[in-house]
Amino acid sequence: MRAAAVRGLRVFALNVVVLAAAWVVWDFTARAAHSSFFPSPVSVAQAFREILAAGDVQGHQLWAHIGASLVRVFVGFAAAAVTGVALGMVLGLKRGVYDSTKSILEPMRFIPPIAWIPLAIVLLRGFSRYAFIIWIGAFFPILVGTMAGIQRVSPLLVEVSKAFGARRPFIVFKVVTPGALPEIVAGMRIGLGVGWMCIVAAEMIGGEELGLGRLMMNYADLLRVDMVIVGMITIGIIGYATNELLLLLEQRLFAWRRAVKV
Amino acid sequence: MISIRATKRFTEQAGGLSVFEDLALDIPEGEFVCIVGRSGCGKSTLLRIIGGLETATAGGVTFGWSGGRTAQIGFVFQEPGLFPWRTVWDNVKLGLEIRGESGPALARRVNDMLDIVRLRGFEKYYPYQLSGGMAQRVAIARAFVIEPDLLLMDEPFAALDTHTRADMHVELLRVWQAFKKTVVFVTHNVDEAVFLADRVVVLAGRPASVRADLAIDLPRPRRRFGADEIAHQEEIVKWLSAGSEPQTSEA
Repeated sequence: MRAAAVRGLRVFALNVVVLAAAWVVWDFTARAAHSSFFPSPVSVAQAFREILAAGDVQGHQLWAHIGASLVRVFVGFAAAAVTGVALGMVLGLKRGVYDSTKSILEPMRFIPPIAWIPLAIVLLRGFSRYAFIIWIGAFFPILVGTMAGIQRVSPLLVEVSKAFGARRPFIVFKVVTPGALPEIVAGMRIGLGVGWMCIVAAEMIGGEELGLGRLMMNYADLLRVDMVIVGMITIGIIGYATNELLLLLEQRLFAWRRAVKV
Repeated sequence: MISIRATKRFTEQAGGLSVFEDLALDIPEGEFVCIVGRSGCGKSTLLRIIGGLETATAGGVTFGWSGGRTAQIGFVFQEPGLFPWRTVWDNVKLGLEIRGESGPALARRVNDMLDIVRLRGFEKYYPYQLSGGMAQRVAIARAFVIEPDLLLMDEPFAALDTHTRADMHVELLRVWQAFKKTVVFVTHNVDEAVFLADRVVVLAGRPASVRADLAIDLPRPRRRFGADEIAHQEEIVKWLSAGSEPQTSEA
């Protein structure tokens, strides 16, 4: 326990050092570039203080932008989680269905979410447009994770259950599902990350005022690169925080897999 | 009484191999039978047919009791086959859970069973925290707790080291004597068979047939290297090699 605490402190200290080093390098580069379009870390920090204190040019608070983006991502992600797990279960359990649909599924998987934006503009309006792009981004990692997880379930466990007289619902929900769950949750974590990355691109096309992507777009039009970087950093920090949260959840959920820890 | 009259051939796609033709075997209630044979002789297939995990090409198995087959059978595999996300306690209750049992009656039976296999205090452990011998004891507890009329064991101790295996033999006999259920135990290990069984059935050939059906009429606890035990072992080895065409040499 003590060793873990010492190690945690060490990791924290190292990260502080690396952050400071990055700050120095950035500052040095900015001075060398000597351009008003390449802000120094100090001016970005000032921009941060400015938007926190006074809001953006239209008077919207930073947290309102964050909130709008988060809601869109969570709705799109929730839809992807439900559909991705459901379809992944079907395809994972029924190999024949996958084999006969892979000619459409597999190519779709490689179309980047951003490539769907023109179609989304044509076909959808408002909120559904964002949700759709997020859904596209998050769906495939979840689908693939679910299918991979099902394949990883030990056939012996299915056999043991059958030997005890288990029927199909028991095998699907009490053997295959928990066995595949680590991969399903890992797929969700990746899917949420991809979805969060897509939000900026999705919001850049929307007509709404709120959203981190919108915020960055507005300031890009005003050539306020410092504010654009504020948006970038905010997106990065929120993505990092949600990922850490899900990792923590994974560790709690899958304590039985501790053996793989090195 | 369990009566086996079965033929098993693999399908043409799987090579069309005939595992056994019209194999006949009767097992009286309460008997501890070891089926001995070289690896690949079809002894596991026979066990899986008895357990309903595979179907015979022709014939089948009739049981001397009414009701479903699987509900009355406990199966122990070579690997413990524990559910890694379930604790020891939850693993042991698996069969009862599948049967739809719950409540204090279930808890009492699981706890009693954990006492019998000496795993009290380990209820909350996950399989990765157990040694190979402990994991196999959980698998045995899981099979016995449903109070099966028939226990099928497919080389359950093959993956264990010699000492653990010897302990497990003693443990298994203790549990078996407490319940007095029919046990069909598949092994390629001759001294294991003589130490455990009331009766040893030797399978050999391709298609496989019963080469010998030997009663082991020795008092328990048996000795590992007793003269009588060794005499039985030698007889089994004789039958195992008798008439075996020069096959691929195996350890």
